[in-house]
Amino acid sequence: MRTFVVIAAYDEAAVIGGVVAGVVQAGYRVVVVDDGSADGTGPLARAAGATVVTHPINLGQGAALQTGFDFALAQDADVVVTFDADGQHRTSDIARLVEALDRQGADYALGSRFLGGTVDLPPSRRLLLAAATAFTRLTTGLAVSDTHNGLRALTRRGLSRLRLRQNRMAHASEILHQIALAGLPWVEVPVTIEYSAYSLAKGQRMSDALFILVDLFARRMHR
Amino acid sequence: MIAQAVLTLLLVIVLLYAWSAHRKAPVVGFLAMAAASAGLYLVWMPHHASWLAHGAGLGRGSDLVVYTWVVISLLMLLNLHLKLRAQMEEITRLARAIALTEARRGLDPGEAEPSAGGAPAHR
Repeated sequence: MRTFVVIAAYDEAAVIGGVVAGVVQAGYRVVVVDDGSADGTGPLARAAGATVVTHPINLGQGAALQTGFDFALAQDADVVVTFDADGQHRTSDIARLVEALDRQGADYALGSRFLGGTVDLPPSRRLLLAAATAFTRLTTGLAVSDTHNGLRALTRRGLSRLRLRQNRMAHASEILHQIALAGLPWVEVPVTIEYSAYSLAKGQRMSDALFILVDLFARRMHR
Repeated sequence: MIAQAVLTLLLVIVLLYAWSAHRKAPVVGFLAMAAASAGLYLVWMPHHASWLAHGAGLGRGSDLVVYTWVVISLLMLLNLHLKLRAQMEEITRLARAIALTEARRGLDPGEAEPSAGGAPAHR
């Protein structure tokens, strides 16, 4: 099985080398989409063993993931795993996601920190995630326990049914919306998310929720 | 009469613009057309404007005309925002094509399965 781990990265020079090395060491092909970084993220990822696809300008995490998907599909990927660049995901969870696809015949394995665990999750972030999950359940009809979790695995068939048009953070909601529309089997898998000062600084804020809602609304207003 | 002529000219331009926009953004286009049509109606039937304004709880017909113009302006702003988004999608497609072409160029035929030196076999 050809498994590709796609990592979208923007100015992650401080951590990208270690993150890529960990995933490569676990035996996976890694594609880092350098989203127009100015701090040498791309060369560091390449030195750590990743194939690097470089956006000429910064487009956003959603756009970077779609670029990674296109690249992986062109390389005959059977399974694609999305993995965050900031070091908050555990490499060992990749195998659990891929196994879940195979064992349960699913096309999408979605990581859930609320079925699994979290380390140092701030209460404000927990509240924000709970609200986002309730919103996702309401708008997509998917009974997910977590949302905006960047750790997920997708089969080639599942991936070919997705087309991300939300360039920035709203892509996480868009993926779930498109999974609901695809009607293919999905499963949630317990994963662990480890928050650090670095990942919290790079992660979403309360104010981002408003922009995500605006993006989702605007997307539906034009063709 | 001069004000009526100027407003009519502007509203007809808005109407034509909204018509041209409705294919890409149907909701905004139709709303802008409805608002512009309402504006034209109020400009040419000012006594109806006063009557409608009283019905809507506004003091004067001219207030209703102003509010209609504000609605039209907001709709035009929304349409502009949507156009910028559509342009960004085009830019994204272009940037992605460049990125993928460059990445494929960097892969030798034998390097299609990249890995770090000494790393375990890929799964």
